[in-house]
Amino acid sequence: MTTKRTCIEIQEVAEAQTSAVLHLCGDLTSECIKSITEAFDSLIRQGKTFAIADMSGVTLISSAVLGEFMGCRRRLVEHGGEVVFSGLSLELRSQLNLMGATKIFRICTDIRSALNYYRWEIERRSETISVSFPPSLKLVPPLRQLVSRISRQKGYGHRDSFRIETIVDEICNNAVEHGIPGASDPVDLSVTIDPDKIEIDIRNASDPEKAASLTAMLLPDNGEIDKLKPDVRRGRGLTLIKMLSDELSVDCTSRGTSVHVKKIREE
Amino acid sequence: MDSQIELSFEDVRGKRNTKLIRFIGDLDATNIELVLEKVSSTINEGTVNIVADFKQLRYVNSTGLGILLHFSKTAKEKGGCFKIANINENVYEIIEIIGATTLLEIYDDLEEAIAALP
Repeated sequence: MTTKRTCIEIQEVAEAQTSAVLHLCGDLTSECIKSITEAFDSLIRQGKTFAIADMSGVTLISSAVLGEFMGCRRRLVEHGGEVVFSGLSLELRSQLNLMGATKIFRICTDIRSALNYYRWEIERRSETISVSFPPSLKLVPPLRQLVSRISRQKGYGHRDSFRIETIVDEICNNAVEHGIPGASDPVDLSVTIDPDKIEIDIRNASDPEKAASLTAMLLPDNGEIDKLKPDVRRGRGLTLIKMLSDELSVDCTSRGTSVHVKKIREE
Repeated sequence: MDSQIELSFEDVRGKRNTKLIRFIGDLDATNIELVLEKVSSTINEGTVNIVADFKQLRYVNSTGLGILLHFSKTAKEKGGCFKIANINENVYEIIEIIGATTLLEIYDDLEEAIAALP
């Protein structure tokens, strides 16, 4: 059996200063341990402590090389970094799984998802989605479900995601219902999520009278007791948002009403 | 793009003027009118005792909660009851936050709710 030629190449990542992609190919056998060690040492010297080992061209990983990767990972972790594997073939992934390596190394489908992991987990960078939608209640369910799904994908727990879904639902319903009747001005929703919190901003072209009552609802101890009357069918949304969130503010101007909500991750 | 909600109505053996209503899906501002119409007409036709099975009710918002309180009040006014069973913990939290656990009759499961029927 012939051994496939090994090559190791370092590629810098322009938008991520402390990370680099290590392209590997061929059979990774004990003969290439020295090159792998040198490549990782070079990255550490350059301050690039988050390494993405791109395995898309790799056909074999020997146990000795896997052991070396563990040593390299330890050195990166000591410098506050990490190594993740990307582009593994199903066969290699299964092999690493059998060897227990998938419990040690994070496996990403491709370089892009590895970089997303870097931005999210290492840089703890936030991501924002912005949507402008016509003031229609029918559009609220897909929006709230979208934000809830994103929060779950970002690692938030079911309970947090459900609370986020409720906040988005109530805040959007309020924005639609408290808008100027008959007006077609869109509602602007912006959701910024990071590993520790989610911030939701919404703006509508509001009816000034309704905006004033909205602000009054935010006064301490206001609006909650009355809403428990069983014959009152509406108006509990803001109470719910207040109870589920960590910050809530309303800003009414001549251009419209903006509501800001912050929800800190709990699980 | 309304949220999906399904209601299924069943008789409860040995109980007169009673229906078991299974709520399946999400209860929110887009479908409360439909739910209101179906459940209110049942109550108004004389089926004043309702057991609502929430086992498959995934979501409820403040508007949905408003009509649950309305059903409870209407049923009581007509000499009946509106009992809820099998609530998932997320939905229960919403009811609890609003402070409606004391206004609604909530049971752990259907057996318990049915046993409490008049």
